[in-house]
Order: sequence, then C-alpha cells, then structure tokens
Amino acid sequence: MIQTIQMGHVLREAVAAPYRNLVTRPTGAAVRIRIEATLADSHCLTALLDFSEIELVDLSCADEVVAKLLLTPQTAYFLVLQGLREDHHEAIDHVLTHHGLAIAAVPPGCRAPRLLGWVAADAREAFAHISETGPLDASGLARAMSWPESRSREALEDLTLHRLVRPVGELYYPIQTA
Amino acid sequence: MTRVIEVPTHFDDRSFDTFAAGFGEWPPAEKVLIDARGAQWASPYGLIGILTAGQALAEAKREKPLLTVPTSDEVKRYWARAGFFNQAAELFEMHGKVPRSGATGPSDVLLDVTPVRASEDVHGVVHKISEGASRILHGELGLEMKATLRFSMALSEACQNIVEHAGTSGWVAVQAYTFRRRLGRRVVVIAVSDAGVGFRRSLESTHAKRFGERWGDGAALEAALIQGVSRFRDPGRGQGLAFIKRFLDQWEGKISIRSGTARLSIVPPWDEDIPLSDHLPYFPGAQVQIIIPAQDPKSR
Repeated sequence: MIQTIQMGHVLREAVAAPYRNLVTRPTGAAVRIRIEATLADSHCLTALLDFSEIELVDLSCADEVVAKLLLTPQTAYFLVLQGLREDHHEAIDHVLTHHGLAIAAVPPGCRAPRLLGWVAADAREAFAHISETGPLDASGLARAMSWPESRSREALEDLTLHRLVRPVGELYYPIQTA
Repeated sequence: MTRVIEVPTHFDDRSFDTFAAGFGEWPPAEKVLIDARGAQWASPYGLIGILTAGQALAEAKREKPLLTVPTSDEVKRYWARAGFFNQAAELFEMHGKVPRSGATGPSDVLLDVTPVRASEDVHGVVHKISEGASRILHGELGLEMKATLRFSMALSEACQNIVEHAGTSGWVAVQAYTFRRRLGRRVVVIAVSDAGVGFRRSLESTHAKRFGERWGDGAALEAALIQGVSRFRDPGRGQGLAFIKRFLDQWEGKISIRSGTARLSIVPPWDEDIPLSDHLPYFPGAQVQIIIPAQDPKSR
C-alpha cells in the first residue's frame, strides 16, 4: 500500500497562505511535522511525496523536509518522491549528497525511479537493475551484473541501509511506486 | 554636535567604505546627518546600506538621524520608485521634498526595498520576485529558464541568513541595470543587508577556536562562504551560500559579503575586485551583494 502526500496541500496548511514555494526552515519543519503525523497514523509501507503543485524548493526546505525525514531514526516506511522538476532535483540532490543520503524519485511519465543524493556506485547500479527487473537475491544480482557474490551482497546491504530496497527473506524487492 | 556623513555621488559597493568611514567609532556619539543631496545614483546595495545605518543607530539607542534627500528630482524619483523613502521615513528625520510613493516602479526594479523580519517575509519576497525575475533573467540576460528558479532560491537563502543569523531584521532589494564601466552588459543585482551581529559574532562561539589568532571578520567570512560552516551544530546547515556560489560560477556571477571590517568576494573574470579586503572602516551587521550578468551573446 502506498500513502500519497500532496506537498502543495501540506504546504498550504502549514503556512496558512496560498504560496507554492517550499522555502525557509520554519516552513520546512512545519511541513515535515505534518508529514510525520500523517505517516504515524498510516499503515502504508511506502510514502509517495508528490511535489507536482510545488513551484520552488530551496535548500533549507529540502534539508528540513527530505533529509530530516530520511534521518528520522526507526522509520518504518519507504519514501519516494514524484512530480519533481529539474530544479527540485538539484536542490534535493545537493542536500542529500551533503548528508550521504539517497532517495528514489519517479520521473514524470516513468515507472522506474531514479536516485537522488549519494550512494556508492555499485549500490546505484544494483538499484537501477532491481527497479528494472524486479526482486533478486544476492546471487541473482551477482550473476546479472557479473560481480562476485560478496560485491552484490555489499551493494544490496548498502541499499537496505538507505531504505532503497525492501528485503524479504533472501530477496530484495524494489520500492513500490505505483 | 552633528556628524555629517555624505552619501557618495555614485553610491555602490565600491564607494560603500567611504560611507562607512564617515561614522568613525561605532556607534557615533554625535547626532548623525546623512547627506544625500549630492547623490547622483545609488545601487540597491547603497540604498539598503543607508537604511541599515539608520536601523543600527536606532538599535544603539542613538538620537534619530537626519537624512537630507537628493537634490536631483530624477534621483529622488528613482529612490522613491525603488521604495527607499517608504522605509526611510521610519528611521530618519527626513529633510527635503520627497516624491509621493504612489508612483509605479520602473521595470528594472525587480523587488523594491523590502524589510525582512521573519521567515514569512522570505515567502513574500520569493512570491513577489517570481514573475519579474523570469522576464529579466531569461528575456533580457539570456539565462536559461531554470535560472529563474535558481535565482529565487539564491534570494531565499540570502534573505534567510538575516532571519537565522543576524538577530535583528534587515532589507532586501533587487534591480536590473547596465554595468557600463565594469562590464558593459546588463546585470541583475540582489542586495541584502542587516544591522545584526555580523558573521564574526555569529560564528565565534563555535568556530573561533579553530582559527586561533587569525580569527576576525575576514576569517569568519572565509569560514562561512568558502568552508560553508554555520553556527548551528545541525550538519544540514551552511549549504545555502555554497549553493549560491555554485550557481554563480556557472553564470560568471559575483558574490561579495561585507561584515564588520572585512569584505570577501568571489571574483569573476570580468571584475578586478580584491577577494579579501580586511581592516575596512567598521559597519554594523552584514551586507551581501549578488551580481548576475547577462550572458555573453557569443555563448548563448
């Protein structure tokens, strides 16, 4: 199950004004608190943050909302972004790279997500492959990528740590985006 | 006794130090008169610098300063259209006839002189700038469309520095004009100024020790602009100026920050400014100027 959160709606509630710009730290913090409250009441495994109504995301808000949601300890859900424009990508990618964090973002018109932020190169390749082909175990990924199994295991552990794949038994599932 | 401080005829970041020197020891003991009668032109940096001086004097509990308005009708009208007199009326005892503020702004005033007191004001600034910024940046300066949003982001981050670090309110203004002498091209200039604690005091408790005897206004500016440090321990802080710097690299833009007795600039190839100027006349708070030039027609 996926919980979609319209960022434009959350923003309007948080600032009590018709602005479409996600700017300033206090605004970002207010938006994040509302998202956390929504997710606390949700039984969904994946939260899809939809930015399509948002005009501008500045670095402060990217940090307060996206980075801090990812940094929240014991998060039970997977986070995915959608409806991002190129400049949104840029701000979010910048802050996540600064923190050594990463998130999946679904480009408009695509089903396969791309990664924003920082993960090791192997983990990035593994993410792209699993998103494309579906769940795999470490040996399956090793075969597909022509890697030794230890390398594919390390890449999958890296993705699990970043909450970019969902491990179930021996298999690693792509995050559900639709 | 009254200390008379003359506004330079051509008042911008280059002549700002002459203006700052006029105050002598800060805060000046005498009543201050800011004499703008001879002013022929002022950049947004100059205009909000005057307001910052007025604000700093008020916060230092000095007598309300006097301001004599420019003699030139054309200059007065321009200052009025830029929103300067509306804000100055609260801080200065004005002398001279001020044009009515109802006049509509010229097309090159992208954002008239606007106070920044809280984060809500930053929302207002970003909202207000969005339409005009696209027209000027893309239409006149030949920057790519996405530059408009980066520009708004830079503006937002620069204004937030006031709210987050100054400990008081400040001002922002954005204008487009032609840099005839330095560049011979159109530019957009963002000027942000506050009368707050300045970079050195803001960063002192968390970073002074690391710099040892080198610590001062210049070192504090280097720490903030070059190293991206912040007074907050939150590791996500301090990215705003780094991001602005990255944008400006792509556009051959310039950022300079003056705080206390130092000014640090990231100097593009078209400018001959000194990267770090130290031992300047003291001026309260921090003043930031961001210049984005029209792209060279050959590279468009």
